[in-house]
Amino acid sequence: MPPESPRVVAYGSAASIVDGLGAGVAAVLRDAVVHACATEQLVVTDVVVGARSVVVMHDSGAAPAIREILQHLSTHFATQPSPTNGSTIDIAVRYDGADLHDVAEHCGLSVNEVVALHSGAKYVVEFCGFSPGFAYLAGLPTSLHLPRRATPRPRVPRGAVAIAATYSAVYPRESPGGWHLIGTTTHELWDISRTPPAALVPGTSVRFVHAP
Amino acid sequence: MTMIVERVGLTTVQDFGRSGWAHIGVPHSGAADRTSFLLANRLAGNAPSAAMFETSGGVALRMLADTAVVITGADCDATIDDRPLARCTATRVRAGQQVHIHRVHTGVRSYVAFAGGIDAPLQLGSLSHDTLSDIAPLRLTVGTTITLGVAHHASSSLDMSVNPRSAARLGLIRGPHYDLFDNDFLEQLMHQPWRVSSESNRIGIRLRGAPLPSGEQHELPSFPLVRGAVQITPGGELVVMLADHPTTGGYPVIGVLGAADVDDVAQRPAEHAVAWSWLAR
Repeated sequence: MPPESPRVVAYGSAASIVDGLGAGVAAVLRDAVVHACATEQLVVTDVVVGARSVVVMHDSGAAPAIREILQHLSTHFATQPSPTNGSTIDIAVRYDGADLHDVAEHCGLSVNEVVALHSGAKYVVEFCGFSPGFAYLAGLPTSLHLPRRATPRPRVPRGAVAIAATYSAVYPRESPGGWHLIGTTTHELWDISRTPPAALVPGTSVRFVHAP
Repeated sequence: MTMIVERVGLTTVQDFGRSGWAHIGVPHSGAADRTSFLLANRLAGNAPSAAMFETSGGVALRMLADTAVVITGADCDATIDDRPLARCTATRVRAGQQVHIHRVHTGVRSYVAFAGGIDAPLQLGSLSHDTLSDIAPLRLTVGTTITLGVAHHASSSLDMSVNPRSAARLGLIRGPHYDLFDNDFLEQLMHQPWRVSSESNRIGIRLRGAPLPSGEQHELPSFPLVRGAVQITPGGELVVMLADHPTTGGYPVIGVLGAADVDDVAQRPAEHAVAWSWLAR
């Protein structure tokens, strides 16, 4: 695990999963699956993206048709270069996070180098989870990869810009959290009265802009 | 407004939940026991997804208009003023009277529906209180006023009460990570007794058993979760994903329960025994 090539299997009686996808494929595949299900008038309630997987929630009767679509499209995207499907959003960051100096020390870098690396990279939303509007941004430079903090914080403020493992993220709302806090932004990432309420959806490209 | 909340303990407003937003991290939420929820709306003459109260700790409501009330789900001590209120039938209740669910027992969640259903501005298409994300279009505290929608004719009674006295026997469909586990592990998983943990909630029903054979720890790339998915935690617990489950997770999913069995386990109090069997794929 994960398998070398995409695999489509049942996920209970009312959902199907394709996993073993290549990096960056899931968000593109989601859009294609949503489109194909609409074209074939298949009722689906949710199409959800994981890091290397897509799950479709559907009526049990629609399972064979949905699995055929997943098989076909995942095979297609396994061999085709995946096009980018989203817009690019610039997020202004003040690099004033509580863990910035610790991160620099653990990575063997200066604070300025951490800032330059983080703000110089191009990111794309791989998937969302943890809390509404929380986007896992792939593209963090490998020299900034660190395991999560040993002890999570009970409260991370809204707008905290953070890194952990291979991802960067912005906390859309105050919540507990175990990521390393390197900065803050005033960019509104979650507004339940907006459609869609999340600024960052799977496939969106993101740049962090250093705001002194 | 049609009623005022006078007492509230572990009670949320629930409808059928918010679908279509899981890809941006919003849990589905909605009634934890859908069978009892749908029955309540049917008996109240409501649309299937009309919003109602889901209570584990009781609730008292002062009526400001005449209406009808239906209680389903877990058995509970309920009154209209001092008169006992029967479950699983529509009962007329008049302005000035108090509907009081004192205590929930023999189960975990009672459903309290009113003719017309609870009416309020939706958030992302739903009135459900999602306890994981704290999305609460209608937060219940003492003094909260509740408005009902247009009532239709309530139907007759139909006793489908929750009475989970015997041990649960839940049917599992093989999950996407079934193949990660060897036969010894699966044998013990299926044949040892499991008990509902007191740490269960609307997010997940946690089950404890004897320590499982420790194989390799599986670190999976985060993948989407579904209602009824049974995860194996690194500590050897099983967690059944319930209404407010997170949209993605990383622990292996050994199997997935059918919808009716999710409703069953949602009504199992702490220490109830749970056994599994595999369903044909």
